[in-house]
Amino acid sequence: MTTTTRVTFPRMPRGPRQERRYLERPHQQGLVGRAVVQAICKLDPRQAVGNPVMFVVWCGTALCLALSLEPRLLDAQAGPQERGFNALISLTLLATLLFANFAEALAEGRGKAQADALRRTQARTQARRQLSDGSIELVDSSDLRRGDLVLVEAGDVIPADGEVIAGVASVDESAITGESAPVLKEAGSDVAGSVTGGTRILSDQLTLRITADPGKGFIDRMIALVEGAERTKTPNEIALTVLLAVLTQVFLIAVATLPPVAGFLHQAPSVVTLVALLVALIPTTIGGLLSAIGIAGMDRVAQFNVIATSGRAVEACGDVNTLVLDKTGTITLGNRLAEEFLPVGGHSIAELAAVAFGASCFDQTPEGRSIVRLAEKLGAALPFAADSVAGIDFSARTRMSGSDTPDGIEYRKGAVDAIKGFVRSRGGAVPDALDTCFEQVSRLGGTPLAVCRGAEVFGVIYLKDIIKPGIRERFDQLRRMGIRTVMLTGDNPITAGVIAREAGVDDFIAEATPEDKIAVIQQEQKLGKLVAMTGDGSNDAPALAQANVGVAMNSGTQAAKEAANMVDLDSDPTKLIDIVTIGKQLLITRGALTTFSIANDIAKYFAILPALFSGVGLEALNVMRLASPQSAILSAMVFNALIIPALVPLALKGVKFRPLSAAQLLRRNLLVYGAGGVVAPFVGIKLIDLAIGALRLI
Amino acid sequence: MMRFRSIRFWLPLLLVAGTVLLAPLLRSSQPPLQSYTLALLLCGTAALSAYLFAVIAQPEKF
Repeated sequence: MTTTTRVTFPRMPRGPRQERRYLERPHQQGLVGRAVVQAICKLDPRQAVGNPVMFVVWCGTALCLALSLEPRLLDAQAGPQERGFNALISLTLLATLLFANFAEALAEGRGKAQADALRRTQARTQARRQLSDGSIELVDSSDLRRGDLVLVEAGDVIPADGEVIAGVASVDESAITGESAPVLKEAGSDVAGSVTGGTRILSDQLTLRITADPGKGFIDRMIALVEGAERTKTPNEIALTVLLAVLTQVFLIAVATLPPVAGFLHQAPSVVTLVALLVALIPTTIGGLLSAIGIAGMDRVAQFNVIATSGRAVEACGDVNTLVLDKTGTITLGNRLAEEFLPVGGHSIAELAAVAFGASCFDQTPEGRSIVRLAEKLGAALPFAADSVAGIDFSARTRMSGSDTPDGIEYRKGAVDAIKGFVRSRGGAVPDALDTCFEQVSRLGGTPLAVCRGAEVFGVIYLKDIIKPGIRERFDQLRRMGIRTVMLTGDNPITAGVIAREAGVDDFIAEATPEDKIAVIQQEQKLGKLVAMTGDGSNDAPALAQANVGVAMNSGTQAAKEAANMVDLDSDPTKLIDIVTIGKQLLITRGALTTFSIANDIAKYFAILPALFSGVGLEALNVMRLASPQSAILSAMVFNALIIPALVPLALKGVKFRPLSAAQLLRRNLLVYGAGGVVAPFVGIKLIDLAIGALRLI
Repeated sequence: MMRFRSIRFWLPLLLVAGTVLLAPLLRSSQPPLQSYTLALLLCGTAALSAYLFAVIAQPEKF
């Protein structure tokens, strides 16, 4: 049996989350300037055609501009005096287009700035490629292909993503994670066996097998995603696009049928007025901000140091019904510490401490090291010469670890059931006191580890679990949002139950195996629920792929990262809760601005319709007492244009999220954005009308 | 082949053809310039409506 020595460095960035962001916040300097240029470039009709609402505005602008240059294009009787009004309407329509383009360009620009931050981690470097005859050649990192073997040593930048096939070395991954503590990489280990291109090796040397061709590495994919190169519309965006296109179609047909009706009433509204009415009625506010909201959602996730593989994943977070969470590291602090030795079978604490020391001397996990520390504190000594024994690694199947001496003595510690089975398989007897100790520790919410030497049980180690501060409040919030939490743990049912109660999770699965994760997810999905989970090991990959939202830890294996639709660069499992909040915020922002945009129409009816039919007794509808028909139309158009930049900060930042139920949120948002959307334009249009009058624009 | 099936290819063609066909019908009530512009406006509105129907039918393509 070979021994694998693992050294675990602290992986969690410390301090408030705001301070641990790795992806640089976009440089504000120049961002607005570039967005302005991009907004003008996006006037290209080939780009405008992608947004149905704004394309209708584009067509209306082109028509009004033509009628500004030559007012008699459609009406031979039209005089040059109409040119000024036409030009003013054209300018406001152009401003509407530019503001919408600006919002999208600004959101894209922030994504590009983050992509630049990632790109800086990609250094082209020389790599030592190992040829089939064992010789080494120096090649550019861009010449490396999947399957190539390369040697890297202290000081080298790792030239591409790869898996460690030989060697042990510490690697500085701060370029990716922002965490300055080095990480041990070694061959044959699940989590520690993969390296990312752009990180730096600090000590020793490694032989790597390259796992990605140039341009297809982890960072390359992340850059493409953050830049939006692979951005496709999410299902929610598609549904909203259809709704906006339907509304636009309805209003287009309604406005197109107005001239015959007006003719019947002996009115002849000008084409520019009809275009103004159409643009005022179609949902330009949400049409102009829709893509910006989507891009900003990805951006907000990236600012949390999480890279989403698609907008669909971020959006799915907003609809998640069930969170499947590992206990260790997510609900409790990752490091369980040995608190007490509880001997059984007439053994003393000193004897138990010595056997526990022997069973843990190769265990480099925090738990294993804490057992050794406690044993040493109690004066125990290692019962054998360390260089002559073989270490036995823990596995999910055996659920125990330990040491085998050359003379056949087996020291084991592990789950109580596993140790019972082990002892019985060696012909030993299990004392009744073991079950008493097991229950005693479990009822305290601790993890009991049984200790044996060969066929003889010595007692139980009490590993104390510490629930993360504030986690109960987070779960309460999730419950109010209608999200169910399920805790998965390898612990026995009593311990799991105690921890679940203390943490406030809704359900738990004790003694869970990796297969249980998939089973839980499938079961929830059969009930029509969307499930989110986190994972880092290769054995988590199928469950990550099965979950609607799978968040892989950056410290995890390549398989886990490939299977997940999000990668957390900080490797912090609790971030899943934040990601769900961001997803919900994205959906709420979209809904709130759609409500606001549609509610705006009411005031615009009252502004434009009386102006359009001023001669047929509709003056009573002029509740805002706007100065003149032309001023009313222009005021509505100016408000329509200005409301877009006014809402850009809200679209990019997102509506403030409150942990309320869907019904409560809907009520609140209808009140704020629905009622606000009705009232705000009345005030805005009136003020603009007064300003137009004061400036004598018309 | 895909190019010919795209709405972006045939919609402008339809717009021009419609204008050319419709303008003579409007000539009786409008001067030549206005009849062509009005025909273009009517066909443009119809084309815009067709485009919106296309978006509604296949939103993922836009």
